[in-house]
Amino acid sequence: MSTTITHPPTDILVLGSGASGAAVAWRLSNRGFNIVCLEQGRWIKPEEYPNEHADWEIQARTNWAFDPNVRGLDEDYPINVDESPIDPLMFNAVGGSTIHWTAHTPRFHPSDFRVKTLDGVADDWPLTYDELEPFYDTYDELMGCSGINGDPANPPRKERPMPPLPIGPDGERIAKAFDRLGWHWWPSDSYVNSVPYKGRKACNNCGNTGLGCSLGAKGQTDVAIWPEAIKNGVELRTNSRVFRVDTDENGRATGASYYDAEGNENFQPAKAVVLAMNGIGTPRIMLNSASEVYPDGLCNSSGLLGKNLMFHTYAMVSGLFQDDLKTYKGALANMILCQEFYETDQSKAFVRGYTYQVARSSGPISTACGHMFGRVPWGAEHHAQFARRFSDVTVVGVIGEDLPEEHNRVELDPDLTDSNGIPAPKVYYELSTNSRKQLDDAIENAEKVLHEAGAAQILATPFLKVAGWHLMGTARMGDDPKASVVDRWGQAHDADNVFIVDGSVFVTCAAVNPTPTIGALALRTADYIDRERSDLKS
Amino acid sequence: MPDTECKISDADRLVLSAVMDLIVPPVDDLPGAGEMGLAGNAEELAGRIADYGEALHRVLEALSLDPSARAEGGFVALEEDQRIAALTALESSMPKYFDKFVDLIYIVYYSDERVHRHIGWRSGPLQPLGWELPPFDPSILETVSRREPFWRKA
Repeated sequence: MSTTITHPPTDILVLGSGASGAAVAWRLSNRGFNIVCLEQGRWIKPEEYPNEHADWEIQARTNWAFDPNVRGLDEDYPINVDESPIDPLMFNAVGGSTIHWTAHTPRFHPSDFRVKTLDGVADDWPLTYDELEPFYDTYDELMGCSGINGDPANPPRKERPMPPLPIGPDGERIAKAFDRLGWHWWPSDSYVNSVPYKGRKACNNCGNTGLGCSLGAKGQTDVAIWPEAIKNGVELRTNSRVFRVDTDENGRATGASYYDAEGNENFQPAKAVVLAMNGIGTPRIMLNSASEVYPDGLCNSSGLLGKNLMFHTYAMVSGLFQDDLKTYKGALANMILCQEFYETDQSKAFVRGYTYQVARSSGPISTACGHMFGRVPWGAEHHAQFARRFSDVTVVGVIGEDLPEEHNRVELDPDLTDSNGIPAPKVYYELSTNSRKQLDDAIENAEKVLHEAGAAQILATPFLKVAGWHLMGTARMGDDPKASVVDRWGQAHDADNVFIVDGSVFVTCAAVNPTPTIGALALRTADYIDRERSDLKS
Repeated sequence: MPDTECKISDADRLVLSAVMDLIVPPVDDLPGAGEMGLAGNAEELAGRIADYGEALHRVLEALSLDPSARAEGGFVALEEDQRIAALTALESSMPKYFDKFVDLIYIVYYSDERVHRHIGWRSGPLQPLGWELPPFDPSILETVSRREPFWRKA
């Protein structure tokens, strides 16, 4: 008979140590709260990162794959994707998916918070860009943002802490093509150090930002936030896999139950629980926390928990050039972006828009097996085709704004479990007609710019399957408890001591990478807790 | 299939080597992937990673069952065009395994330092050397900076 290990109570229990969990823990520990954070993964040492090993490209396709179903590590959980054309991607370790991300960090536009008002689709957010702006600034400083002011496609903002990363000769080539077409472009904002920053080194352009940075040059929360949070007194408990948020007879959270590395059941009591496990992990555990009070899952009186899942829809258009620019040099996806087609254009057959995120090529195995486009053919044509694709390729990646739809959702799989027997999530997703039209338009315009830049050949991948980097919308925020899971502060409508701070709370997803917005929202929630909830502090 | 169990027979190893020469044929001074002696590397990787192991076994098994390979001498005795036809047929009939198999061959081929020298790639880990790039030059912004702000007010 197993015995539950019960720990001393804490003020705030944070579930997940990634982009948002780290931010909340840091902010609230600065304000005197006692914090415990539970992370199902472990600390990863810099020397473990693939970029420190000659077989880095093999690791990128196996034990370091973006896809947890491919990686299959003990700390991962499987995801049933039988009903989804997009594979969700994530990483489980101290730092969460910031270990694995490419750290491309544009902000939402002011209009992104008002899509119902402006374009008559989806819903408005219950907050504005202006309200979020100071938190964006703080998160930029925490993680370390490289970039430059003056972008005509975005509002003026505080100076970034660092100048832009090098855009390289390949970046200049495509930037000039955008100029000739009269289209917008701007150096990407990136949480990658262009110069030494807060004791962390500058990026040395090794290329594969998506594999964890052993230099510490990338904004991963394990190096950018956790050291200070731990110094503040936060207890970060690793190899701790939460399976349930526990509640009392009134529906208020009492803490969370989890398995430790030995498989023992533990209970961590807390005055409040903050969920920060990403747009799939958070609804998974909330659905698994059903109780008498919450028969359909924790804080799910709206019935919307797990619904409205948004990915960004991706297409890739690659230009093969013949200038031998060695385009594998430089941070993979942190060159420039274009937001010429960001907003709704009434002349087009779709609403909302897309961003182009321009990316580089990669190493020889990635090239041969298919990096951003298909595999190089085998046989007589192999070497000629490989040579064309290897060292001078610029990829115009399309990030389309995916609109929320209730049928796109996360549920618990009735059969599949992780290694502790916790039900795995099953994802249901259909690409909308609007998204397909967006992508088609984006491909056509991407081909124009690559042609203008002098590409000898252009290859389009019309829809990218391994593209579920951004997991959003499954516990949306709003003022109406019937139409949202959390309020404007990330506090559950159904329980005043349950907070959600990851991408689950997104109302819409804009057409940009979400992490700065996730981080800013998390800091804003933390400030709310500090300001309004002194009852949660010992 | 459990990891570490990917033993193939000597005969299959010969077939694998011949297939690898067709997947990645000779180029300039480099022989094909099989003749370079990379079949053992493929076998080793297939033994470590179950998906590749399964793909390798499925492809070799399918080739052994191919009618043209049942002739005396088997697959390795076929003419080159017959071998290519056999592989092309497999690519159509079992794409999932064939694709993974081709990935396996590409991975071992493009992990080899002789190949790296040929394509001009620096072998070894990406760190600590990284790559040199000139720092960002703001003069590139001259044209786009002249544009009036056009972000949508909300």
